[in-house]
Amino acid sequence: MEPRRDDQLAADLRALRPTPRPEFAAELDERAAAGFPRRRRLLPKSPPDLFAAMRNKGPAHPWRLLPAAGLAVLVLGIAVSAGLMTRDDSSPRGGVLSSTGPLQPAEQVAPAPAPEGAAEAIPNSSVGSEAPFDDFSGETQDRAVERSAEIVLGANPEDVADDAAKVFAAVHAHRGIVLRSSTEEGAPGEAGASFELLIPSDKLGDALAAFSAIDEVRSRHEATADITAPTVTTEELLQESKARIDSLLSQLGEATTESEREAVEAELRQERQDRSRLRTDLQNLERRADFSRVSLRIETGASEDSSVGGPWGIDDALHDAGQVLTVAAAVALIVLAILGPIALIALLAWLTHRAWVRRERRRVLS
Amino acid sequence: MSETLVASAKDTPQEADLAFDRLYRSSRDDLYAYVASLMRDPTAAEEVTAAAFERAYRKRNRFDPRRGEPRAWLFGIARNAALDELRRRGRQAELTAEPADLEALDAAEGAEQSERRLAVSAALAHLTAAERELIALKFFAGLANAEIAQVLGIGESNTGTKLHRAMTKLREACDGAA
Repeated sequence: MEPRRDDQLAADLRALRPTPRPEFAAELDERAAAGFPRRRRLLPKSPPDLFAAMRNKGPAHPWRLLPAAGLAVLVLGIAVSAGLMTRDDSSPRGGVLSSTGPLQPAEQVAPAPAPEGAAEAIPNSSVGSEAPFDDFSGETQDRAVERSAEIVLGANPEDVADDAAKVFAAVHAHRGIVLRSSTEEGAPGEAGASFELLIPSDKLGDALAAFSAIDEVRSRHEATADITAPTVTTEELLQESKARIDSLLSQLGEATTESEREAVEAELRQERQDRSRLRTDLQNLERRADFSRVSLRIETGASEDSSVGGPWGIDDALHDAGQVLTVAAAVALIVLAILGPIALIALLAWLTHRAWVRRERRRVLS
Repeated sequence: MSETLVASAKDTPQEADLAFDRLYRSSRDDLYAYVASLMRDPTAAEEVTAAAFERAYRKRNRFDPRRGEPRAWLFGIARNAALDELRRRGRQAELTAEPADLEALDAAEGAEQSERRLAVSAALAHLTAAERELIALKFFAGLANAEIAQVLGIGESNTGTKLHRAMTKLREACDGAA
């Protein structure tokens, strides 16, 4: 046989070309005419393929789930941000909180009969451990936190006296102390009352609720300050002072000469003065933690703050719009923070899968 | 090959359908021939061919003419489908002519021609799988070198060189057998 020419070889190869069965060609033509409707797989599945089918039991196009996943993440972000905002509102740890707009009177707290002398006597409890704040978490129970509040109530001039009486009742009911009070009668804007109060910190929440229930709340402001560090320092200094006094007392017992005894006594006097001062400081700190200072005012007439109680205007609209935008930005940021890493992981997984599929395809041909 | 065979993404759905119909009619037998030579199982070849057309039909609106010829795009889809099917089956790609085809040749052609084609069929076994795929794309599917280059993701000149080497090797194998 003579050597092959290229065209002859090409012709021979073309003659070897597989051709489709007429039945298959006709069936495919029908399917093409019908727009290739989806159909069931015709080939019998080998065992590994069955496992693959079990593994890939998910939807044929997982990308179709992306909008649903995005929505789920968005809802999650909103829930998380709402949760954060709610926590900020309810746990005033180390921050200053202020109410916005006129507040509705809170749940009425029935004033309990105050024990005699309760309003005058200041219990000298230890800081934190024996007087936990009612709405503080366990984490803050070991800390000394000073709390203060300012509340402004709006009232009609004829109601000022009644409201003032209710304030006294609420203070007594919560075993608080009225440091200072004044009541003015007169026309709207002139009549009013003011109170400087000390309320046991563990009852501050209840007391503020009771005050809020007396009349219309025009503003309410709460603040906290952590005074754990000075309290602990003072306690340590007090212990050191006690140890020094014990040491000086033993030195005094061992002193043999008059001059030596006088010198030790002088030092002892000074140390006792220091100890007394430290004890006073500690008591003051403990009192600041145990009792919260509350400034309460009853006003009559129009509110001083135009944004509170007045008709809703452009300023209010701008303020509200700003708040809405801030919340929206916060939600978007949270969603981005959640979606970013997920998208990155998904991208890496997709790239890895793609590279693996390509390698496997090459391997089939190798 | 004209770009009008498959409409681009910007065309209307009706135009895309018409263009795909043209592509289907011009490529049906070629695609089957290529897939059958990859699969070496007529039933599997039919399944993969139909699946490839289905996939291409669903993606027809995403075809971008700037990225290549429509036939190359279609054959790329079919190639991936066939290789995935082979991978699932754990088989190696084999590219040989169907025995049934040779029997048909026996009856229709002369003895010498039949013997020559039998030799070509046997010589194909001496080529690597990649070389056999090149031969299939060129002579079974009738693709141009540029289209083969797009299907395989290699350069056109590289395709020409590889094809020339495969043909030389095939000719030598045929002559050696003779």
